[in-house]
Amino acid sequence: MGEPVTPGASCPGTFARAWAKAVSGTSYLPMTQAQLEEMLQRLTHRLAAALRAEPFDPRVGHQVGAELVAAHIASAEGLGRTVEVIQLRLLRDLGLVGDDISDRLARLLATVTTGYARALRDRTLDEQESIRRAAMVARVQAERALRDSESRFRHQATHDPLTDLPNRTLFTDRLAAAIAVPGRGADRVGVCFLDLDRFKVVNDSLGHQVGDALLVQVAQRLRRALGDHLVARLGGDEFVILVERTGGTDDVVEAAEAALAAVSEPALVDGHELSVTASVGIVERPVAGTTPGELMRAADSTLHWAKAAGGARWALFDPARHRTELARYALSAAIPAALDRGEFFLDYQPLTSLRDGTLLGVEALVRWRHPELGVLSPGSFIGLAEETGLIVRLGGWVLAEACREAESWAAGGGPAPFVSVNLAVRQVNRPDLVQEVRGLLAQTGLPPERLQLEITESTMMSAGAEDPVRALRALNDLGVRIAIDDFGTGYSNLAYLRDLPVTELKMAGEFVTGLRAPQVDPASRTDERILASLVSLAHALDLTVTAEGVETADQADLLRAIGCDAGQGWHFGRPAPAARILEQIR
Amino acid sequence: MQRPDWAPDDIDVERPSVARMYDYYLGGSHNFAADRVAARAMVEAVPDAPLMAQANRAFLRRVVQYLGDSGIRQFLDIGSGIPTVGNVHEIAQRAAPDARVVYIDVDPVAVAHSQEILAGNRNAAVVREDLRRPAAILRHPEVTRLIDFSQPVAVMVVAVLHFIPHADHPEETLRTLRAALAPGSHLVLSQAGEDGRRRAEQVEAERVYRRTDNPLCIRSRAELTAFFDGFTLVDPGVVWVPQWRPETPESAEDAERAGFLGGVGRLDG
Repeated sequence: MGEPVTPGASCPGTFARAWAKAVSGTSYLPMTQAQLEEMLQRLTHRLAAALRAEPFDPRVGHQVGAELVAAHIASAEGLGRTVEVIQLRLLRDLGLVGDDISDRLARLLATVTTGYARALRDRTLDEQESIRRAAMVARVQAERALRDSESRFRHQATHDPLTDLPNRTLFTDRLAAAIAVPGRGADRVGVCFLDLDRFKVVNDSLGHQVGDALLVQVAQRLRRALGDHLVARLGGDEFVILVERTGGTDDVVEAAEAALAAVSEPALVDGHELSVTASVGIVERPVAGTTPGELMRAADSTLHWAKAAGGARWALFDPARHRTELARYALSAAIPAALDRGEFFLDYQPLTSLRDGTLLGVEALVRWRHPELGVLSPGSFIGLAEETGLIVRLGGWVLAEACREAESWAAGGGPAPFVSVNLAVRQVNRPDLVQEVRGLLAQTGLPPERLQLEITESTMMSAGAEDPVRALRALNDLGVRIAIDDFGTGYSNLAYLRDLPVTELKMAGEFVTGLRAPQVDPASRTDERILASLVSLAHALDLTVTAEGVETADQADLLRAIGCDAGQGWHFGRPAPAARILEQIR
Repeated sequence: MQRPDWAPDDIDVERPSVARMYDYYLGGSHNFAADRVAARAMVEAVPDAPLMAQANRAFLRRVVQYLGDSGIRQFLDIGSGIPTVGNVHEIAQRAAPDARVVYIDVDPVAVAHSQEILAGNRNAAVVREDLRRPAAILRHPEVTRLIDFSQPVAVMVVAVLHFIPHADHPEETLRTLRAALAPGSHLVLSQAGEDGRRRAEQVEAERVYRRTDNPLCIRSRAELTAFFDGFTLVDPGVVWVPQWRPETPESAEDAERAGFLGGVGRLDG
């Protein structure tokens, strides 16, 4: 095999251009046409050198094939066109001739295609592997994202978003666990209910943002102050602390005091220095026989005791007090049904003239014939009815019933007695009071002057506003009597006597009780003087005066001497059904 | 409660992905059997599909080169797909090593693959987000880490808009992106273009893509031009992609065969 001879001019540039043209468009080439030609020219030189080399080295062909693939001339078409253009033009364009030149070209082409196919195969395998790995990574990432979001979801479901404290759900779970599966020596458990005092004032005066920031600070302090005890936020400004494995109430009291101390440090919120206090209700008891619900309710009501006592303190659960409250609650809850079933009735107590002993009027007093507790006096349920607002319905019934009964009381010669009915604050404040009374009078036919409405001093003080005053004036204009009940025990504000259409003052029983023979008790003189002054004041204002709580004939004599108009009390008659009272005047 | 925005079930290699089909057209092997079945059906319906992908890829290369020469150093490539030969960061960083590139794609596999390619490249990142949530793209920490929106940015939405139907209001998406850009920024768009002569092929293509998560929405030159609202089109405007600043006159011949319309707009001060 001799040296190949070169008869014509060698034009590798021409060949490279033809090669570039052949392969362009067979696959995406990340280069310009010029860059492509430049690269192929380089490969052309290597092919030419290989054809001339002695001995023939097939590795050059492998490398050229691999380089084509690396340059992204990597498609079946790219290879086909390459083979074609080399076969057709390489020898001619390079001016290569020789005996064995076609053999060499065939061998070179074989190595180029081999190198090309190998490189393409490797590349395919690499890419397959890489995309599979990417799919796997993507899946792992997606699973992690899902797990993260699930744990975020769990956290959100069990934590308060504002303070990040555990919420009621988590607290209840932990409390339930502490009760259901107490560890060794963990047979007692304690709960503190904590509520900020007057938190609403912060919200109302500084805005909810400041309120929220304060809650966040309080939450942080509670968490810090209470160490291992679970602190949760129930909502609003209510927090709760779980004290597990207690040895007795002292352990929980200690936690409550730590909490109160933590809360009471002045807080700087948004430039405002806030001094807040809290109230805490404490329950501590054996886990046996209790439930989470019971503990929470007990702690909640104990919290209200601490609040009622003025706040900034803790209160300890007291089972007896709790029972009383529950009974009161049950009683107040039973009022509506009792009204429906007609369990209420009225007794009347005489209001007797001190001048001539005639029956001027009667005060209606409501009774409850309770199916289990027997007959209850107003003291045991009126307060409840006032707290719950049921007083409006109950008071309305009393008023209507009194009007209905009183209408039928025939006069025994003189004028028939008026009926005096107590009105609660809420009743006085109702906008339709006048309409209600007018309707009742029309319905029952009771003359207006035979109805007296008794209002306490405190009612007048709290009413204050214009509407109730206007209502009382309207009622007075109808002819209805207005009496101030329990006069002298409240503020005894004389100003409203000037403004209000009052007919009568009812002197509080306390003054009458003090009336004894002066030689026995010098203080009695004082009560007598007060009463005398009040009577003369009332008379000067054209008001009549009735003394309440008259128990003895001596008291009645003294009151008569002072000039008091009427008396009410056991001396004149105890409360009784209307029929019995009316018998006395017949 | 915020659910994760992608679930493991989304990574379904049995369902053709438009990103991996595109890789197949470009001669890549970053694809699975389902992708190849769909891509072959596409090639059968539209024999020029590989050529179209190549032409679009070449358009991308020329555009990035042009933008780099114009001084742009920040690139936001939305719908970047499977990173293959001639990625934006390769072209941009070859011209200017400090060029910053953020790729955005909705396909989790494409994103995972890009993460591997970009590992160790401090000036490039990939984010999984949806073009239809431009506000989320703009505030993504990786985007804000690399892209300074007070400086010119090239926003590239290349070969993606045909997957955004009218109902998704692409014009609003582009408006949101534009509002975030400083003067001197550029918008690059390309998408499958309407060609009356190929109506039958395009109907077939739409049928193929209905198998994927991304049905095809082919648009006219006027529609694509309207997307540049607020931008000044750089010469030669919206054209068949081989006609956009061709390197040789012959490479622009028979340009409508490339199937893609494209253009570049500049945001003037």
